[in-house]
Amino acid sequence: MIDPVTTEIIRCALLQAAEDMNTTLIRSSYTPVIYEAKDCAVALLDREHQVLGQSSGLPIFLGNLEVCTRETERLYGRQVWREGDVWVLNDSYIGGTHLNDVTVYGPIFADGELAGFAASRAHWLDVGSKDPGGSMDSTSIFQEGLRLGPVKIYEGGRPCRDLHEVIARNVRFPHATLGDMRAQVACAMTGQRRLSEIVARWGVETVMAARDEIFAQTERLERQAIAAIPDGVYTAGGHLDNDGITLERPLPVNVTVTVAGERIAVDLTDCADQASGPVNCGAAQAVAAVRVAYKLLVSGEVPLNGGSFRPLEVVTRPGSMLAARSPAACQYYYSHLGLLIDLVVKALAPVLPERAAAASYGDSLIVQFTGTDPRTGTMYVSQEATVGGWGAWEGGDGESALINNVNGSLRDMPIEVLETLFPVRVTRYAMRPGTGGAGQWRGGNGVVREYEFLGDTSLSLWFERSVTPAWGLAGGGAGAPPRVVLNPGTAGERAMLKVNALPVAAGDVLRCESGGGGGYGPPERRAPSAHAEDVAQGMVGDS
Amino acid sequence: MDIGGTFTDVVCYDERSGAVVAAKAPSTPGDLAEGVFNALGRVVAEPARISFFVHGTTQGLNALLERKGARVLLLTSGGARDVYQIARGNRERMFDLRYRKPVPLVPRADIMEAAGRLDWRGEELTPLDEPAVRHAARRAREEGFDAVAVSLLFSYANPAHEIRAGQILREELGPDVLVVLSHEVAREWREYERTSSAVLEAYTGPVVRRYLAGIQERFAGRGLGVPVHVMQSSGGLVNAGYAMRRPLQTLLSGPVGGTMGGVAAARLLGGGNAICVDMGGTSFDVSLVVGGRPDVSAEARIEGYPVLMPIVNLHTIGAGGGSLAYAEAGALRVGPESAGAVPGPACYGRGGTRATVTDANLVLGRVDPAWFAGGLMTLDTGAAERAIADLAGELGMEPLRLAEGVCEVANAKMAQAIRTLTVEHGVEPREFTLVAFGGAGAMHAAFIARELGITDVVVPRFPGAFSAWGMLEADVRRDLTHPFFRPQAGVDGGEMAARLRELEEQALTALAGQGVPEDRRRVEHAVDMRYEGQDYTLTIPLRDAAEPGEPGFLAALAARYAEAHTGRYGHATPEAPVELVMLRSTGFGTFPKTSAAPQVAGRAQAPAVRDVIFNGEAHRTPVLRRADLDGELAGPAIVVEETATTVIPPGCRATVDVNGFLLIKVNSL
Repeated sequence: MIDPVTTEIIRCALLQAAEDMNTTLIRSSYTPVIYEAKDCAVALLDREHQVLGQSSGLPIFLGNLEVCTRETERLYGRQVWREGDVWVLNDSYIGGTHLNDVTVYGPIFADGELAGFAASRAHWLDVGSKDPGGSMDSTSIFQEGLRLGPVKIYEGGRPCRDLHEVIARNVRFPHATLGDMRAQVACAMTGQRRLSEIVARWGVETVMAARDEIFAQTERLERQAIAAIPDGVYTAGGHLDNDGITLERPLPVNVTVTVAGERIAVDLTDCADQASGPVNCGAAQAVAAVRVAYKLLVSGEVPLNGGSFRPLEVVTRPGSMLAARSPAACQYYYSHLGLLIDLVVKALAPVLPERAAAASYGDSLIVQFTGTDPRTGTMYVSQEATVGGWGAWEGGDGESALINNVNGSLRDMPIEVLETLFPVRVTRYAMRPGTGGAGQWRGGNGVVREYEFLGDTSLSLWFERSVTPAWGLAGGGAGAPPRVVLNPGTAGERAMLKVNALPVAAGDVLRCESGGGGGYGPPERRAPSAHAEDVAQGMVGDS
Repeated sequence: MDIGGTFTDVVCYDERSGAVVAAKAPSTPGDLAEGVFNALGRVVAEPARISFFVHGTTQGLNALLERKGARVLLLTSGGARDVYQIARGNRERMFDLRYRKPVPLVPRADIMEAAGRLDWRGEELTPLDEPAVRHAARRAREEGFDAVAVSLLFSYANPAHEIRAGQILREELGPDVLVVLSHEVAREWREYERTSSAVLEAYTGPVVRRYLAGIQERFAGRGLGVPVHVMQSSGGLVNAGYAMRRPLQTLLSGPVGGTMGGVAAARLLGGGNAICVDMGGTSFDVSLVVGGRPDVSAEARIEGYPVLMPIVNLHTIGAGGGSLAYAEAGALRVGPESAGAVPGPACYGRGGTRATVTDANLVLGRVDPAWFAGGLMTLDTGAAERAIADLAGELGMEPLRLAEGVCEVANAKMAQAIRTLTVEHGVEPREFTLVAFGGAGAMHAAFIARELGITDVVVPRFPGAFSAWGMLEADVRRDLTHPFFRPQAGVDGGEMAARLRELEEQALTALAGQGVPEDRRRVEHAVDMRYEGQDYTLTIPLRDAAEPGEPGFLAALAARYAEAHTGRYGHATPEAPVELVMLRSTGFGTFPKTSAAPQVAGRAQAPAVRDVIFNGEAHRTPVLRRADLDGELAGPAIVVEETATTVIPPGCRATVDVNGFLLIKVNSL
C-alpha cells in the first residue's frame, strides 16, 4: 500500500511532465494555429495506453490521443516499440479528426523496459488538400490531403529522411510544417525525459502503485458526482445546417443520456448517416466530444487521467456521421461535435441547473482566404474563427464575444497582425447588440467583423447554427443566428453562410456577423436596473 | 524601501561605516507617506543626510486590485471601438460554461471613436477626424473624467495621429486630466494589448502621480533635497519625475525588488545564475536571474489584463505557510486554497481548525512557537497538533508522517513551479543558486533545492526585507524599442546601425535626465527575431550599436539566433528564413553598490536544543540565533532571526559569508 504523500507527489510530477510537454510544443511551434490557437494537445501515457497526465489546448482533443498508440500496437504488436523511435499518424478513422490533426508519439523506456508513451496532436496548417488549408466542399478523404497511418519519422533517434521528403513534397508550406513536426518531436522527447526521471526517482513499482491509486481516486470522485444526478433518461435534439454540399438539407443530431446510479450512458445512434460533405468524424472523436460535455457537467477543470471517464459509456453507430467509415470526408469534423456537446448539456440541464447554461453561438464560424499576396508575390492562407455570444444561466448573463467551446482558448487575430501578414483591411470589429437571447438573464452578444480585400483572393466560409441557433433555457429566448453578406448595401449584395473557394476581387467587402447566446428565465423577470444598464452600454437594441 | 500591504520595510546603508540596518513599520493605507516616514525614522536619525532614496510603491497596484482607479475615457480608431471590450475573445478555463472575461476597466459607453486610419506601414489612408477628438475632449471635461487614453490602429508604426489627438486633448483639457497615448506606453503591435496597456496607465496613473507629488513635497518639507527614486516593473529605477510621466512602469514595483536582490546576491557571490523564491503566507513567487540579469519579459498579465511593458517575469503559485492540507477521495492535497490571515493556520488560534503548511512545520518542531514573526506572535502548538491529527485520522496516517508529508507535497509543488519557469527558458535548475526570502522561504529552501538537484542555497540578510535591499542595489533603467519588422534578407545593416545609434542617443539623454553621471551611463542593444511565421521571438543581444553596419553581420546574427533557438527549444532550422521584429535598446545608470561590512558575531549564547522531525525521526536539533552564527554549521539545525526561520536539514552544511549571507550546501537526494 503506497502512502498518500508519495501518491500526491507523483501525481503532481506527472501533471507537471504533461505541462512541460505542452510548453515545449507551444513555444517551439511555427504556425499560429498551434501557438496562438492552441490547436493541439499532449498526453503522457503508461504502457497500457492509459493517461498519466494530459494537457490540452483544445478540449475536443480530450482523452483520445491514446487511440494512436493502441492502434499502432494492434497493427504491429507490442515488440514494435523501440527506444529512440518517433511515430506519426493522422488517419481520420483512427484519430477521429481531420487529416490536419497530426499525432506524433514515441515509446518511453526506463532501464530497457517499456514504461509508457509521450504523444502530442497538433493542427498542421496544410496537409496537401485540394484547396490550400483544407476544403469546405470535399466529398472524400482522398481530396483532403496526405493520409499517414502509423509510420516512423524517427528511428533510433535519427530522422527518417525518406518520410520527411514525402511530407515535404505533399504539403504547401514545408518549412513551417516540418518546423511544427520538429516541435512535436521535441515535445515527445520532453515527455520521455520527464517520465524517465520520475521512474528513476521512485522506481517502476512505486510509480505504478501511485498510478493505480490516482486512477482509483479520480474514478471515485466521478462516481460520487454522477450518483448525485437523479436517475433517468434525458434527451435533446437539434440540426446541423447542412453538410456543405446540399445546402438545403439539415442533418439531425440527437442524444439520449441515461443516468443510472453511478453510471452515465450516451447514445448517439440516432443521428444522420455519414454525409457526402466533410461533416463526418471517426468514432474516437464523438467519444472525445461527449467527454467534453461530461467534464463541463461532472468533473470540471480537474485534470484528467486514466481513471477519468470510467463511469461513462458512449454508443455510436458505424456508418453515421459520428462514426464515419472510409472514404467519408472529415475536414469539418467538429461542427456536429460542438452541437453534440451543447445538446448533452441541454439534455441534463433540468437535473443539473447548478452546472448548466443556455446554448452558445456554437461553432467556429471560419473565414478563410487564400491567394498570392500582391505585396510580396508569395502564397498565403489566412484562417480565422469568429467569436460570438454565450448562454446565460441562473444568476448570470452570458458572456459576449467569446470563442466557442470547440476552439478552446483561441484568441482572435489582431487587426494589426492580420493586415501586416495578409492583403486585407478590417474596417469594423464590433459587438452585435441585441443578438443575445432575452431572459431574466440575457444571452451574450455576437460580433460584426468587416473585411475589405486588397487583392484578388479565394474566399471560403463555414458559418453554422442557423437552423438550430442558440436556444434559451427555463423560458429564456434564443440567440440570433449568424449572418454573412458579401458587398452589403450594393447591387451585387450576396448573403451566404458556407462557400468554398469563391473568387473575390480587390475592393470587395465581406461582413461577417456571429450569433448570440441563449437567454435564461422569462424576459419579464429581468431586473429593470439590468435592462437600464444594457441600454446605457448599448448591448441591446437593433443589430 | 518596500511598501507592502501590511508592513513598510526599510533597509539603510551607511556609506561611511558600511553598516546595513533594516526595520519595519506598519503601512498606513490612508496616507502611505506616513508609513514611509515612520519607517525612515527607525533607521535614520537625520533624514537630511540621506543621499539616495529609492522605494517601491504599491499605490497603482492597490488602486487596480480594489478597482478604485481613475475614471477613463477611451478614444479609438473608427470601427475599432469594441476591440477593448472583445478582448480577443479567448477563454482561460476550458470546462466552464459560465466563463466571464475580466470586467473591462472602461465600460463600453465610455469608449468613443475618431475616424482616421493608417495602413500596416503607417501610411495615412484617412486623415484624423479632429472634430471628433474635440468632441471627446468636451465630453471628458463635462462629465469629469480623470484621464483619457488614446489608442489608434498602427500607432506603433506611425504615431502622428495619436500625437495630434494628444495635442488637441491637452489643449482642451489642460494639465489636470491625464492624457495617455498608446504608442508612448508600448510601441508594439497588437491593438488590444496596446490599448489595455494604455488604459491601465490611465486608470492607475492619476493615483500614482498624486502619491509621488505628495511624497516629494513631504521630502522637501523635511529638508530632504535628494530625488525620490522609484522601482519599475522592469527591475530598473527611475526618478519620481519620470515615474509621474510613465506611471504604469511602477505597477509591480514591490515584488520585483526581490529579484533585483537576487541579481545583487548573484553578483556578490561571483556567479550569474539565481532562482529567487519568495514564500509568504499565501503565495510563492519564483523569478530567475540568468547570466547576472533579471529575466524580463516584454509582456505580462496583471489581474487578467495584458500589459506590454518590460516586466520581471514572476511566476506565482498558491503555496505558502497558510496553504490548506485536506483529503479528497482518499488523496492528500495541499493548496492552492489558503487559510489566509483570518482564520489563518490552526496554530494562530484565530478559530482556524484546518491543517496548513505552517501547522505542519510547527508540529515537526521546525518553527519556534514562541518566536514566530520575530516574537510578534505566539503559536498554539496544541491546535496545530489537533488539526494535523484530524487529517491524519481521515487519511489513515500517523500524524507526524502526515505533517512531514504536507511539507513534502508543498515542497514538490514549489519545485515544480521552478521547473516550469526553467523549462520555458531551456535552462537547467542544477546550475543555479537558490536565493530564498520572504517569511517562509528559508524554511523550505533546502528541501526545494534537493528536489531540483540544486546544491547551493542562499538566505540573504534580512530575508523579510530583501525586496527593499534589492531596490537599493538596482540600476537606473530605461527601455526603448523601435519596431523593425523585416525579413532578414531585407535588412540594411547600415540603416539598422543608424536606428540603434538614435536609440542610444535617446537612452543616454534619458539617463542624463535621471541624474546619472556620464561615466556611469551604458546602453545595451538587442534585436527580437524569429523564424518567419513564428510568433514568439527571441531577444538576441548585439555587441553594440555599430555591429549591424559591419561586414558579415547578418550571417553572424543568423548563427547567434540558431544557437539561441537550440538552447531554448532544443532544435533549430538553419535553412529556414528568419525575420527581425523589434530593436531594443536599454540604458543603464549604475549607482555605487553597497559593500557590506563583515558581520560581527554576537555574544554566542548556548543554543537551545529541541526535537525536530526529519525523515520520520526525531533529531536533537540546535536552535541558533542568526546573529550568533560563527564558522560552519552541520545540519540538522534551525536558525532564527527577526522575520524568518531557516531550516538546515540533516546532511546539509551552512556557513555565513563575508556579506552576511547564510550559505547552505545541500546534499543530493
